[in-house]
Amino acid sequence: MRNLFAFIYRFRAFLVFVLLEALCVYLIVQYNTYQGAAFFNSANRYVGRVLEFQSGVTDYFNLATVNNTLARENALLRQELLTYRQAGITDSTSRLDTTLVVPVDTTIVDSLRTGPQTFNLHAGRVINNSVRRTNNYLTLSIGTKDGVEPGMGVIASNGVVGRVKTVSDNYSTVTSLLHSQMLISAKIKKNNTMGTIKWQGGDYRTAILDYVPLHVKLAKGDTIVTSGFNTVFPEGIMVGTISSVAKEADKSFYTIKVKLAVDFAQLSYVYVVENLQKAERDTLEYKAGILPNE
Amino acid sequence: MNSIAGIRHIVQFILFVALQILLLDNLVLFSTGFCFIYIAFLLFLPIHINRVLLLFLGFIVGFTVDVFYDTMGIHAAASVLLAFLRPHVLNLLTPRDGYDTNDSANLHTMGWSWFLTYAAILITVHHAAVFFLEIISFEWYTLVKILLSTLFTGVVVVIIQLLFFSVKRAKR
Repeated sequence: MRNLFAFIYRFRAFLVFVLLEALCVYLIVQYNTYQGAAFFNSANRYVGRVLEFQSGVTDYFNLATVNNTLARENALLRQELLTYRQAGITDSTSRLDTTLVVPVDTTIVDSLRTGPQTFNLHAGRVINNSVRRTNNYLTLSIGTKDGVEPGMGVIASNGVVGRVKTVSDNYSTVTSLLHSQMLISAKIKKNNTMGTIKWQGGDYRTAILDYVPLHVKLAKGDTIVTSGFNTVFPEGIMVGTISSVAKEADKSFYTIKVKLAVDFAQLSYVYVVENLQKAERDTLEYKAGILPNE
Repeated sequence: MNSIAGIRHIVQFILFVALQILLLDNLVLFSTGFCFIYIAFLLFLPIHINRVLLLFLGFIVGFTVDVFYDTMGIHAAASVLLAFLRPHVLNLLTPRDGYDTNDSANLHTMGWSWFLTYAAILITVHHAAVFFLEIISFEWYTLVKILLSTLFTGVVVVIIQLLFFSVKRAKR
């Protein structure tokens, strides 16, 4: 027995080394596979505070860009609002003589036209961001108090950003589209061909669109949008435009490079998408035997 | 003397980690050259430090960076590896008349060639561990990354030695 203790004591440094490395490997594996279970990450309260302090200083340097983006978004929204208003003015149903025409219940008509509200957006400030690593994450200064939950989609005013990974009271971490294991279901806008967007490292402005069969006709500059086939992103959110198409001899799919619409290095405000019908749709699909896809 | 040295290393820990998170996180050369300056804390520790303590310090500093970088475990694993190899590298590099009891890994006391070999070996091992754990597969591009990052970190470590570890203090 004493020999055993002497042995352990003699090799204590090596044993501690092996133990610590095992712990590290456990952490790596656990953080990569199990969503939302990790406690030690940048959504942690104290870590979040440090990052918020840092972005409080650096945010001043890109105020001009932020203003530009917001102004452009405002213009776009105003334009959309204007078209609705025009439609409302030209629609004369409400002014018809009620003695001749039975008045239509407007609430029903409206809900038929647009459907019930399915998406809520929560605006959040980006307090930590990276674009140059193999696996990039963002940290937002909104958390469960603002209605954010793991698994929700994140978009910016000009396109898709990523997906919420973990949430604390006031902060949340987002797996960026620039992550080696992030896949986003997308489609080509003009002919609705499905594909999968993924990022392969390197340049943070370019991603790959995979699984587009060879018979589809493509052109440079075609728009890629989200497919809406899962509950994470609404349908039709901009992803990017095709920058190059190549056929490779040994593949049955195109190799398509996509120029991403979002400049990840300039992100400062994003929206977390809450899908109000997520639970209903997911349970239905689960009951039907469709496994939830990532 | 001992407690003063201890406090100095605690201050170094905080400074290097803060430098890493607040500044060098945004400073990447050609999207390939990363600078992981926080390992300077481990490199500058006294030569005769307890091995087990060194391992735990390696884990703590790597883990702290991991939490901010959202790379759970990767930096911790690489730093623990560095901490494990450090005594062996020091043994290899022992000068003819051995180390003095109060020696620390300092460029001015130990000389240029000693310090550069010591830093180059450990920084390369650490960076290789970080980049290979990140992708868990082999790519030639990773080797470029390791080489450029090692150079970058090495240069910064030497600059810090020249700027803040004056010859006068080393003689004391």
